[in-house]
Amino acid sequence: MAERIGVYVCECGPNIKDAMDLDEVVTFVQGLENVVLTKAFGLLCAQEGQELIGKDIKEHDLTRVVIAACSPKEHEKTFRQCLEKAGLNPFLLQIANIREQCAWVVKDKSLATDKAKAIIHAAVRRVAYHEPLEVKEIACQPHALVVGAGMAGISAALTLAQKNRKVYLVEKLPCIGGKVACYEDVFPSLECASCILDPILDEVLHNEHIEILTLTEVQEVLGFYGNFLVKVTKKARFVDTETCIGCGACLETCPVTVKNEYNEGLDERKAIYIPYAGALPNVAAIDKKHCLRWQGEACSACREACPFGSITYEDTDQVRQLRVGAIVLATGFDLFDPARAPQYGYGKVEDVYTSLEFERLVNSTGPTQGKIVLRNGQVPEKIALVHCVGSRSGKFHEYCSTVCCMYLLKFAHQVTRQLSGVSILGFYSDLCLPGKEAQGFFNKISQEGNIQWLHMKEPDSIEITQADGKTLIRFTDVHGSPREVTSDMVVLAPAMEGARDAGAMAQIFDISQGAGEGFFAEENSQIAPVSTAIEGIFIAGCAQGPKDIQSSVAQGQAAAGRILSRLVPGEKLALEPVTAEVDEDLCCGCKLCVGLCSYKAITCDNLKNNVAINKVLCRGCGTCAAACPSGAIKAHHFTDTEVSEEIRGLLRQG
Amino acid sequence: MTGKPKIALYWCSSCGGCEESVIDLAEDLLTVTAAVDIVFWPVALDFKYKDVVAMNDGEITATLINGAIRMGEQEHMAKMLRKKSRLVIAHGSCAHLGGVVGLANFYRREDLLSRLYQEVPTINNPQGILPQLETIESGRKVKLPDFHDTVKTLDQVVEVDYTIPGCPPTPELIKEAMMMVLEDRLPPRGSVLAEKKALCDTCPRRDSKPDKLRITEFKRVYETEWDPEKCFLAEGIICLGPATRGGCNARCINANMPCRGCFGPTDDVRDQGAKSSSFLASIIDVTDKEALKKIVDAIPDPGGLFYRYGLASSILKGKMTRGRS
Repeated sequence: MAERIGVYVCECGPNIKDAMDLDEVVTFVQGLENVVLTKAFGLLCAQEGQELIGKDIKEHDLTRVVIAACSPKEHEKTFRQCLEKAGLNPFLLQIANIREQCAWVVKDKSLATDKAKAIIHAAVRRVAYHEPLEVKEIACQPHALVVGAGMAGISAALTLAQKNRKVYLVEKLPCIGGKVACYEDVFPSLECASCILDPILDEVLHNEHIEILTLTEVQEVLGFYGNFLVKVTKKARFVDTETCIGCGACLETCPVTVKNEYNEGLDERKAIYIPYAGALPNVAAIDKKHCLRWQGEACSACREACPFGSITYEDTDQVRQLRVGAIVLATGFDLFDPARAPQYGYGKVEDVYTSLEFERLVNSTGPTQGKIVLRNGQVPEKIALVHCVGSRSGKFHEYCSTVCCMYLLKFAHQVTRQLSGVSILGFYSDLCLPGKEAQGFFNKISQEGNIQWLHMKEPDSIEITQADGKTLIRFTDVHGSPREVTSDMVVLAPAMEGARDAGAMAQIFDISQGAGEGFFAEENSQIAPVSTAIEGIFIAGCAQGPKDIQSSVAQGQAAAGRILSRLVPGEKLALEPVTAEVDEDLCCGCKLCVGLCSYKAITCDNLKNNVAINKVLCRGCGTCAAACPSGAIKAHHFTDTEVSEEIRGLLRQG
Repeated sequence: MTGKPKIALYWCSSCGGCEESVIDLAEDLLTVTAAVDIVFWPVALDFKYKDVVAMNDGEITATLINGAIRMGEQEHMAKMLRKKSRLVIAHGSCAHLGGVVGLANFYRREDLLSRLYQEVPTINNPQGILPQLETIESGRKVKLPDFHDTVKTLDQVVEVDYTIPGCPPTPELIKEAMMMVLEDRLPPRGSVLAEKKALCDTCPRRDSKPDKLRITEFKRVYETEWDPEKCFLAEGIICLGPATRGGCNARCINANMPCRGCFGPTDDVRDQGAKSSSFLASIIDVTDKEALKKIVDAIPDPGGLFYRYGLASSILKGKMTRGRS
């Protein structure tokens, strides 16, 4: 192989120069096969260094370049651009890292000199086999799909819409706003939740760029970043959203009464319903499962009562195909079911509530119009707040749900404000109060009312039972002593888990989920928290992990930002040039690679009996190439030849 | 002597199965012998070593050598036949990859000799004598060929022009190779004369292979009953078909046994055993440490499984000891 390789050894100030015998290194490199030019230089990354390389490439007809300097993470891009400017394909470069991997870690000068020689030899052997790679571009669709219209989803949608992107906002419920819309107040400001939320929801409802699809679920996703094709089913509402004004006349005449899931089952609703007072859009919906017309009866009470002729029994489910470039999954959370841990008495002891039930109980649009009362209608004198139900537990979830301490403090405030003289028992084993506001909030609420803090030994050192009409709480305190108290009402703070249907979503979108807790797995928890292994599919809010409103909004906006920065209308999407490729003449169709690809990039053609790798989706991770049993998949830039030559060079074999 | 092309057949360290595969040509053997002159075939015909030595260099059109190279005599014969032949064809897995006999590279020569001549319970050798290169028998010096430290493939000893793979090769492949020589339609030098793609391509159970293959337990054939229509891997039985060159007519699969890799790797794979363990590892669908240990322990002899035919030709070549050639 007759390549003309230029090798540049960077002194990197004293970093490399002082750590080894550079003259010896240069002399060694000069004697290597194909090397036509070897130069040591003070600081290659500086302008003069880059200019020198560019000039040499042209003057000496270099066909390959090796830079012996710092880590490729630091300057590979710089030097690739340098090659490109000089008319050489940027992938005909190899970096020999003699700083981080040699100068900085080998103390003995002669050992460092030997090691630098080996590293450069490896690079010289490898670069001779580099192939020029081309960066391809494809046209992309700038529209986006947001799944879930809670805080994270609407934040993403609004941010995208600000830049005039068309956003499809898909929500499986008849109304938008997510869990926050069910709260009375929010912590730590203790502002009224609907005062914060309603203007935002109005903005979403009236934004010309956002198309809201309520009662809608995603069925199937095809395609890839920049070009997704998403099939959604919009369930029939049987009420015309254009003409219904939410007057509620239909609700009064409907003869069917069922448990109201929007009030956590604490009261009842009709078969035609508005989820809760103030739900947006303020439009009724018919619950087909319970409406008499679908049970074979000829009821039309709601249609008769409707003053606007808005009832449309003939509605059918609609399937739609949405073309979008990127997707944000903001499907939120559900609570751990405390009945799974019988010690909490949930479902057996009458006045044990989950936090979401209590949110509705204390809400002015809730089942008691915000009055905190027991199931028998009496006003409680003592209320127990139990932290970490299913969180931080060896049995259920190891993680802390991060918001429970804060909302239980909010509950303490709401209780104290409403019921003078009430006593509050706080059962905790540790308090989680991070950040700039939480400790102050705790200090403020602790002084406000009559709160007795009961420090438990473990998060679950507690048992709640019913005894003599009273709720009896036995617990082990922090010193290990058994204690017991009674309470009228108990509010549990169950762990946050990924939404119940997150598993199905994960399958549809082919993204990973954490084991057991149901949250979607991010690409990297530190530096890529809103992207996933599938390019173009982002996650935001509690779908990614437990978090408060502030963080959910931030993630929604972050996901939108990622989309806005890359999917620019009219611009093309640059594809990863370091990808894998299948040699159809060698592929035997064993299909082993198909299930291994994290990016869904490999498809199987059973008729042709081979596989194909989608260049847009492939990120060049190399998993398939390593697994391909017949060597039919080649990972560009990491071919067997390149890697084995590199190893030979490192071992200084001839 | 006629003007017909001359063919020689020779055996080195092998079991004799490759010779048998030539006999398995049956009536086709007559077609072949009618078209050529067989000038050397110790297992079947009475030509002498000196007859071949007396021939001109390159006089033999093609020589098929089966068996690996372990003895000095084998190396000598291989080199002599190389000189006398225009084409040398490695015949069968042992010549191609080292074969089953190549598994001996997991042991040192000294260990093999002492085991065989001193330790096995059936040996009767009270003085513990090991094979010698020379000995005096009835006043005459007798010489024995030396026993090399390492089993080598044919192409590690002489240049090989073509390879007919298999343990043993199918009669069809042997016949086709012969016809290629006779009709002068050989592919580029160095080619393995079988399919280019791996066995799955022509496997009769191909269609039963799931699109996403995942394994949570390896089953050994004596431990389980399996669906004779279904892909072995889908049943959790290790089959090296995906990592093995096709062209064998799926003989083992048709006999309801999984592929063990005798045709060797495809052209672009350097080490069949490494590839086999790599592809199997990649489809294990277990992350729990204990379960992983269990699944790995279900392969008691990975060397014997993944390198059954290819140890001598692999990257590591066998048990490495200092000074081994």
